[in-house]
Formats: sequence, structure tokens, C-alpha cells
Amino acid sequence: MQLKRLRVAQLRRFQQPLELADLAPGINLITGPNESGKSTLVRAIRAAFFERHRSSSVTDLQPHGDSSAAPEVELEFCWQDQAWHLNKRFLARKRCDLRIDRLASAASTEASEALNGDEAEERLAELLGFSHPGRGASKAEHWGIPGLLWIEQGAGHELREAVAHAGNHLHSALGGELGELGEVASSSGDAILQAVDTQKKALLTATGRPHGDYKTQQQALEEQRRELTELDARITAYRDQVDRLATLRQQHAEDQRDKPWEALRAQQHAAQAQLDQVEQLQQVQRHDEQQRGPLQRQLDLLRDQLDGFEQQRKTLEQRQVAEQKARDQLAALSAREPALAEALAQAQAAYQAARARLQQAQRQQRRDSLQQTLAQLAQQLKALDHSLTQARKVQAELLEQRQQLQRDQIDPHLLEELRHAEQARSELEIRRQGIATRVRFELRPGQQLTLGNTTLADSGEELLLEPAELLIPETGRLQIIPGGEDLSALAREHQRLSERISALRAQLKVADLIEAEARAASEQTLTAKIQANQALLSSLAPEGIELLAQQQQALRQQQATLGAELEATSESLTKKPADHTRSATPNQALDADSALDPNQAEAQLETAHQALDLAEKAQKDHQLALTTAQSEARSSANERQRLQAELEAPERQTQLHSLNQALTDALAEQQILAQRIEARQQQIEAARPEILKQDVGRFASSAEQSESAARARELELNRLESHLEALSAEGLEEQRAECQLACEQLERAVHELERRAKALSLLQTLLRQQRQALTQRLQAPLQTHINRYLSLLFPHAGLSVDEQLIPHQITRTGNAGTEHELIDSLSFGAREQLGLISRFAYADLLQQAGQPTLIILDDALVHSDSHRLAQMKRILFDAAQRHQVLLFTCHPEHWRDLGAAPRELFSESSL
Amino acid sequence: MPRFLHTADWQIGRQYGRFKPEDAAAIAEARFTAVERLAALASAQQVDAVLVAGDVFDAQTVSDRTIRRLFNALQGYAGPWLLLPGNHDAALAESVWSRARRIGAVPANVELLLEPEPHLYPEAGFAILPAPLTQRQTMADLTAWFDQAETPPELLRIGLAHGSVQGLLAEEIDSANPIAAERAERARLDYLALGDWHGLKQIDARTWYSGTPEQERFKDNGAGQALIVEIAQPTSAAISPAAPRVTPAPIGTYHWQRWQADLRLASDAEALIERLQTLATNTVLRLQLSGTLDLSAHQRLQAALGVAEGRCRSLEIDADALRLTPTDADLAALQVDGYLGEVVAQLRERQQGDEGEIAREALVILADLLREQRSLDGEATCS
Repeated sequence: MQLKRLRVAQLRRFQQPLELADLAPGINLITGPNESGKSTLVRAIRAAFFERHRSSSVTDLQPHGDSSAAPEVELEFCWQDQAWHLNKRFLARKRCDLRIDRLASAASTEASEALNGDEAEERLAELLGFSHPGRGASKAEHWGIPGLLWIEQGAGHELREAVAHAGNHLHSALGGELGELGEVASSSGDAILQAVDTQKKALLTATGRPHGDYKTQQQALEEQRRELTELDARITAYRDQVDRLATLRQQHAEDQRDKPWEALRAQQHAAQAQLDQVEQLQQVQRHDEQQRGPLQRQLDLLRDQLDGFEQQRKTLEQRQVAEQKARDQLAALSAREPALAEALAQAQAAYQAARARLQQAQRQQRRDSLQQTLAQLAQQLKALDHSLTQARKVQAELLEQRQQLQRDQIDPHLLEELRHAEQARSELEIRRQGIATRVRFELRPGQQLTLGNTTLADSGEELLLEPAELLIPETGRLQIIPGGEDLSALAREHQRLSERISALRAQLKVADLIEAEARAASEQTLTAKIQANQALLSSLAPEGIELLAQQQQALRQQQATLGAELEATSESLTKKPADHTRSATPNQALDADSALDPNQAEAQLETAHQALDLAEKAQKDHQLALTTAQSEARSSANERQRLQAELEAPERQTQLHSLNQALTDALAEQQILAQRIEARQQQIEAARPEILKQDVGRFASSAEQSESAARARELELNRLESHLEALSAEGLEEQRAECQLACEQLERAVHELERRAKALSLLQTLLRQQRQALTQRLQAPLQTHINRYLSLLFPHAGLSVDEQLIPHQITRTGNAGTEHELIDSLSFGAREQLGLISRFAYADLLQQAGQPTLIILDDALVHSDSHRLAQMKRILFDAAQRHQVLLFTCHPEHWRDLGAAPRELFSESSL
Repeated sequence: MPRFLHTADWQIGRQYGRFKPEDAAAIAEARFTAVERLAALASAQQVDAVLVAGDVFDAQTVSDRTIRRLFNALQGYAGPWLLLPGNHDAALAESVWSRARRIGAVPANVELLLEPEPHLYPEAGFAILPAPLTQRQTMADLTAWFDQAETPPELLRIGLAHGSVQGLLAEEIDSANPIAAERAERARLDYLALGDWHGLKQIDARTWYSGTPEQERFKDNGAGQALIVEIAQPTSAAISPAAPRVTPAPIGTYHWQRWQADLRLASDAEALIERLQTLATNTVLRLQLSGTLDLSAHQRLQAALGVAEGRCRSLEIDADALRLTPTDADLAALQVDGYLGEVVAQLRERQQGDEGEIAREALVILADLLREQRSLDGEATCS
């Protein structure tokens, strides 16, 4: 379809007619500023097709304020070798004329066709695939395919509604294109699927678990099955009890008939009688056994007495032997005595000799040592004496020097001050001399004048520093007053200084400065001397002279003591050797003068001492042994005599005889008793009394057990009977039958529900699968067209289309990998771009299906960036190869590279 | 001429889980009704005694109410009822019988044959030799003692036993509670009344199974009857003994039937529908369907089955072997178009698989939904 010409008149801002002629088959770029009438033209095209010419609700078409205007639209377009001419006038002088002419090139010779009014409008709706409203203005829901392809300002991104409105037209258009698929698009499939969903939901949850009635029934069935199991268990128990009852009854009858415990009791009694007999024997036996004890004790006693006698005899023998032995011992000891005494004497002598030698040696040693010490002492003393004398001399000097220093000491500050004062006074004196009033006199001899207190005679000169009275005898007085202020001031200063000097001299105890200076010099010399002497003294007597004197004293005393000792020692030495020589044994040749080693002497003494100890000990031991032997000899003799007397007494023999007789009698009696007991014991053992006792116990407990078991059985029987009576009343098996009944019925119901649920699931699955497959087949051609455009905008991207053939998800590969994004979540610009792409794809699809296509874009893609816009222009240009495109824009500069000459609306309207 | 009513296997207390609750209750109730009918029949026939050959009760522990109801149902006949314990109600140490006695439910004219010893009825002219079960099962022939049992020669010797006659009932060869096939002859019995086999069956001239008086299996074996037995004179006294005259009398309420319908042709379904219309109200029917049906025939059959179910006592349908094959006409009628056609085709295929019945059910559901849809559309169109 190609729009050739458009003319509007009395329509909104175009009160004067406007015509767009020679519209191109591809892109037509219509530009103009805002409010130049672009949207009005779009509205005019829409009105020409969509609005009923009879409609009175299109007053918006009239120019503002002109209610009498008759808006008119005239269109010419080509479609399949036909030229269509449409002229439509609204509101006033309404009419609609459609003329369809064969083009000259057409082979057909058919005449042209003219349609009017509704008929014309219906033809247009059929051609383009839209519908008219029943009454009133045409709305989006009527626009069908043009609604999809004629894109209003700012609506490029909104696709869903447009597609929905185009749905039927699109489907029927596609149906033709897709051949048999048109039939496949089931008329009631979705309704059926929904019904199946609903029915399934009543039985199964979303996760396929039983729900509602199905669930209730299944739970009830489980409950019944549990109950059934429980009843079965109870019935089994009941049956076991019934069997037990039968057994018990039989046993009870046997018990009553046989009474087995009675026979057992009889056996018990027989065994008891036997046992009693044996016990009697045992009693007699015990009596005899008791006899045995006393008899034995008597025997033991007799034997003990006889043994005592025998023991005494043996003791006597032992005593005799002992006595002899003691005597022998005594004799031997006595014989050794003299030898021992001799040895002791010798040892003592040797010891004394050794001791004397040792003393001698020690004295000699002491003497030598004393002599040596004394020599040292004498030397020390000599040195000490010298030091002391020297020290005392130095000390005396020091004392004197210090006293002198004390005397001559002078305060250096005062001295300095005195120097200054003297100096100042001298200077003052000179100045006073200079200015003083000189009184020169030259008196006749013998004449005297008295100036002040001074008597002047002869000649001379007096300096008057202060007023003075010159008494001239007999003449009167002459008052001389020295002139000038200075003189009195100087006099005062002189006075002050003189006083100060006097004071200082007094303080320093000197007559004048020279003396003071001499004293200061003397002080210095003394101090140096004292220091030298102090050093000398501390070297001579570092700890003081007193200590030195004490040391000297101590040494002298020591010298005296040691001297005395040496004298004594020497004396004894000169005397002792003589003694020693006399007392020494001949074989011990000892030279008195020869030096005797004290250590050796000590060792000899030690040896002699040990020998003496041994000899003394031997002597002492011998004495002890001798005494002991004597006492032993005495006592053993006594003992032997006493025993001998006792044994030889006559009554003792008689006693021994009678004892022997009694022993013989007792032994005979014991033997008889033993024989009797032995015989009876055999009898008792043969009867096995312990076994008999066991028999009695065994039979008794068997009887007891037998009887109590019978009683227990009877008890159990009674209990079981009443228990079963109670159980029978419950009608367990009837309950079970009823339970089983409920179970089976529920099983059937559950089975039916299960089968229904499975059938519904199966049906649902198949319906969905088939529907899905169909949808995919329908989508395939659209997808092809979409991909053609999409690859220009987003290379390697995929755009998936939903069941309503609306793009809903884009898949792109970016830095973050493959990303799936819902179209609705994209930016406005991207949505508009994809919206246009989709519409172009629909147009392609429709064109293939032989439908007319015309694309109108009113100010599209204003939100696209330059890159995207460039791509979109390629897409648009590509689409325009197949479809006529009317592109209205107020931004001609954006579209300069679109390959189409822009038509400016402004200039044309001014025509 | 002495006359008896021989019956057995009342199985009082049995429940029927295979049926819907209300049907199950009615069928269980029918067993009491059967006993009342027996009492009425005994009175009408003026029999000398009613012989009940075991399994009066279905279980040992039935409720006291059930016990009382049973004995109450005997009221219609004042003569002697001779009740023998069977394997279901054996005379155990504690049994339904001891319970019945304890609660005082047993009327004076009811004799419980709990011991294997002769019971003499000199006035009526017969002696009863019972073989009660005192254990749930036994492998010994409890009727063996009949051979040695002495009874006065002028009295009829009537044996009463519960078990399987050896060698005659092929399927129960190894079963418990055996009874020697020639017992009647060996024990010189005039009649041996047997129970345990639920169908009516004659073993020899003097030995019969009466079968249960109320049918409870889909087995056409003469169940639902009782036997009227007339005996001329004691065998021992007769020179040429005549066999007893045994006449079956119908007792049961419900007729249990099992139909197997293999549907191949369109007419098969129609024939089945016609046959269903003839069903009597006391029918308990088990219908096994196999073969194939198109959707419309299936819908018609479903409707007919719905009607039949409303009329007869119980209708149990096993359609597991049935396949649905939608025809083009079906699809057109249901306006199956688009991908639904593919779904129908797949379901049809799947009926051959492991879970064929689920596919069939799914197909039925889909067909129902489509019909519903069409009728909605129809309404929409009409309005």
C-alpha cells in the first residue's frame, strides 16, 4: 500500500486546504516546528479511516471556534494495481466517497468501482484490518492493525495493548500466512485448560500432594487401616486367650482328678520317718563323742606328770655337767693372770717414755720460735721509735706554726678596704694640702705663738684646714678662717676616712698598713709550712701519734713477756736433758741436743698409748671373766646339790608308780569307746541322713509347687473366663468387619480420586505441551523478522516473544555474561526502540500475508542516544524498503541522513 | 413322614466392603431377612426340625445386638432349631455360643449342638448325630464317630456336619475339616446335612449341601435356597430303603450376577444398553467391560449405566479393559479443533500403555469438558 496524496481542509489549524502530494513509496520525512500541524495530519489520516463519516463526536476536527466548519480529508493510495481515492467530510455535509480504479498497467479490464457511506467505510476496515465503533468516536480498541503500525507521539514503547487490539486481525492475517496453523489455534483450548486446572486444583496442591476431598479421604483411609491393624492385634490376642482358656480347663480337670501333690506328700512322710531314726542314732553317738574328751584330758594329765618327773632327772644331769665346766673355766683363767700383769707394766713404762720425749721436743720447738719472734720485735720497735720521735717533733712544729698562724691571720677583705681607705686619704690629703691655708711664720726666737692648741715657734709653716685662733700673746687673737667650701667638705671626708682607717686598723690589730701587709705575707708562708708538716705527720703516723705510742708500748710488753718465757724455756732445756738421760732405757739413745721432731714424737706416743690401752683392756677382761667363772662355779654347785636331794627323796618313787598304773587303765578305757563310736558311725553313714533330709525337702516342695501351680491355674482360669466374657461383649470381629468395610469403601474412593487426579494431571500436561508447541510454531516467523532488525541494534542478542506474540524478554551477552532482562524493566528509550522493531516485524509478517502496510511515526525515537538513533535509522531505512513510512518530526536535523528529502510543513501550509 | 428343613452358612455378621455403603448395609441386612424367611418356610411346611449345618455366625465375636437379632429372627418357627457350630463359629472354650447363652439369648426351642454326642428326639422319631467343630480348623474327620454311634433302631439317624467332602469338591481337596465321602453309608445315616459349601450340591442320595440361603458371591451355584427333606422311614427298618425326598426352596433376596461385555461393534453397546434396561431391582451386578467404544457410544452407555445403577441393588463396573476411540464424528460433534485434536490423539494412543485407564479417564474428562463447553456455547448462541 502506498499513500500518494493527502489533502485536508477546514480541519483544525488547516482552515485553508493543505495538500501533501507525490508521497514516496519508502520514507517520507515531514518536518515542521511545534504546532505546525504534524499531529493534525496524523489525526486526519486516522479520522479518514477510523471515524464514521456520520459520527458527531469528532468535533475536535473542526478549527478552533468554528462549529460550522466541515472538516474534510481526501486520500489517494495504491493497493494491488488499484488506485483508491477516498474523500471524507465530517460534521457538516457529511459524506464518504470511495472510488477504486484499475491502474492502467493492470491486465484486468474490470471497470472502476465506487462506494459510498458505510459501505465504503466497511471496505476500508476490511482492507486495513480494523473495526468501527458501534457509535461515538473510534477508540484504540477498534484500531486493529493500523493501531499497531500507526504510532502516536510517545507511544512507541507501549506495545501490549496495541497487539491485544490487533489480536484477531493479526491472528487471522497470520492464519492465512501460516496455512494449517490457523486451524490449530484452538477456539476452546484455553477454556478447557483452565477448567482442567480448576478441577485438578480441587484434588491436588500445586506440589502434587492430595488436597481437599482427596486428602480427607486418604487420611480417613489411613485412620481406618490403623484401626484395622489394631483390631487385628486385639483379635489375635483374644484368640490366643481363648486357646489358653481351653488348655487351662483341660489342666484344671486333670488337677482335680489326679491331685498329684498327694502322692508327693506320702513320699515326703516316708522319707521323714527314716530320717527320724537316723537322728536318734546320731544323738547317742554325740553322747559317746562327748565322753571322749574328758578321758583324753585325764590321759594327757597323767602323761604330763610323768614327763615332769623325767624332766627333773634330765635337769640334774645337765647341772652336773655345767658344774664341771665352770670349775675348768676358773682354773684356766687363773693361770693366765701373771703374764697379763707383766705386759701391762711394760706398756705403762713405754708410754711414760714416749710422753717425756714429746714434751722435750715441744719445748725445743717453742724456744726456737721465741727467739725468732723476739728478733723481729726488736726490729719493729726500733723503726717505731724512730717514727715516733720524728712525729712528735713535727707535731710540735705544727702546733707552733698553727699558733703563729692564729696570731698573724688577717682578714683579706678588711685589708683590701684598708688599702683603699689609705689610698683615698692620701689623695685627699694631697688635695687638702693644695687648697689649705698656709700660715708661715717666722718668729723671732723665743717668741711663741699659739695657733689653736699648737704652739708655734721659730719658723715654720702650718696648714690651716679649719678655722683656728692664733693667739698672739699680748697682742690678741687672730682668727684665721680658711676660705672655700671645699676645704670643710674635704675636712669632713678626711675626718671620715681617718676614722674608718683607725677603725680598720683596730679591727686588724695593726698599727699601719705596712704591718698589715707584712702579716698577710707571713700568713701565706705559714700556711704552706703547715701543709707540708701535716703531710709529713700523716706519713709518719697515719693513725695518729697516740696509737703509734700505744703500739710501741704493746710491742715492748710483748718483748718483755716473750723474753721471760725464753729464759724459762732455755732454763728447763738446759736442765731436762739430764733427767731424760737418766730415765731413758738403755736401748733408747737420745741425744739431748739433737733436735727431736715433735710430730714423730707424737706418733710414737700414740703408738705407746694404744699398746697401753690394749694391755689395760686385756687385764680388765680377764678380771671380769675370772669373777664370772667363780660365781658360776659356786651357783652350779648349789643347784646340783639341791636337785640331787629332791630326786633322791623316797615318796617320789611311790608317786611315780601309781602314775604309771593310772595311765594303763585310762588307755584301755579309751580304746573301748573308740570301737563303739566307729561301729555306730558306719550305721549312720549308711543311712545317708543328708540325702534323706534333701528327699524330705524335695518331696515337700514338689507337693507344694504342684498344688500351688494347680491353684494358680484355677485362679488364671477364673480370671481368664471373666476377662473373655467381658471381651466377647465387645464384638471385636464384628467391629473388624465394619472397619474392613469402611476401609474397602475408602480404598475404592481414594483409588477413584487418585485415578481422576492422575488423569487430570495427564490432561493438563498434554494440553500445556500442545499449546506450547503451537505457540512456538506461531512465533517462529515473527521471530525471524524480529531477529533481522534486532541484530542491527544489539548484535548477538535474542528477543523472546510470549504467547500473545509480544516481546517480553531480551537476552544479551555483555561483560557480565549472558543477561536476561524483561522488556518492561528496560529504559523508556530501549523499550521504544524494541517496540518499533517489533512493529516493523509485524508489518513484515502482515505484508507476507498479503496485507497492506503503512507505517506512521509521529516524532519517534526522541529518547534515543546518537548511537542507538544511528542504528535505528538503518533499521528504519531497511523497513522502508518494504513499507511506506510517514515520519513526522520537529527535529529535521536528526533525520538528515535518512536518505529522504524533508518536506517542511510550514512552507507548504503557506502555499 | 418326618420332614426337615436343611440350611447352613448363614454367616450372620458378614460385611460387604466391595459395595457402596448403602448397598453393603442392605445386603448384610438381607441375611437376617433370609433367616426370617426360613422360619416362615419351616412353619408353612410344618417341618419337624430345622437343621442348620454350621457357620450360623460369620465370626466368634459379634456384638450382643447381632446375637439377639439372630435368635429373634428364629421366632417365626416354634419347632426345634438344631444349630451346629462351623469353622466360623466353632465351639471354642469361649465362643459366640457361650456368649449367647450367657446373655440369655438362646430360646428354649433352639438346641446348640456343641458336643459330639447323639441327641435323641423319640417323639419326633429321629436322632441327631452332630459333628461340631471345637477348633477353628481340624484335619481330622469329625464325623468318624458316627460309624460307631448307637441309636435306637426305630429312630431316623440324621447326621449334621460342617466341612468338605473329600474327593468331590475338586478345589477344596486339601481343605481343612474333611468329611469322608461315604460317611452317610458307613454310618448308616438316613440323611447327612452338610454345610460349608455355599452352593447347593448333592453328594449322594442321602448327603446334601444346602448352600447359603442368601447369595453372597458372583457364582451361579444354586446359592440362595434351602432344602426340604422328607424321609419315609429309618433305613435300618426298611426292607428296600427309599432315598429321602429333597426339594430346594428359594429363600434369598438378591441375585448376584456377573456380566462380561466385550464391545467391538457399535451395536454391541446398544445391545448392552438394552440388556441393562431389563435388570431386576434385586440384582447385584458386576459388569466387566472390554473392547473399544467411540465417545458418543461411551456417553450413551454411561447414561444407561447411571439409570441401571439407580434401579438395581448394586452395580459394580470394571472398565479397566475398555478403550475409547474417538471418531471423526466425535471430534466434529465436540468441535475439537486446534491443539485439542492433538491432545485427543495422544490420549487415545496412551490407552494402550501402562496406565491406559488413566488416559481413558483423561479422555472422558476432556470429552465431558468439551460437551459442557459446547452446551455453554449453545446457550450463549440461543440467548
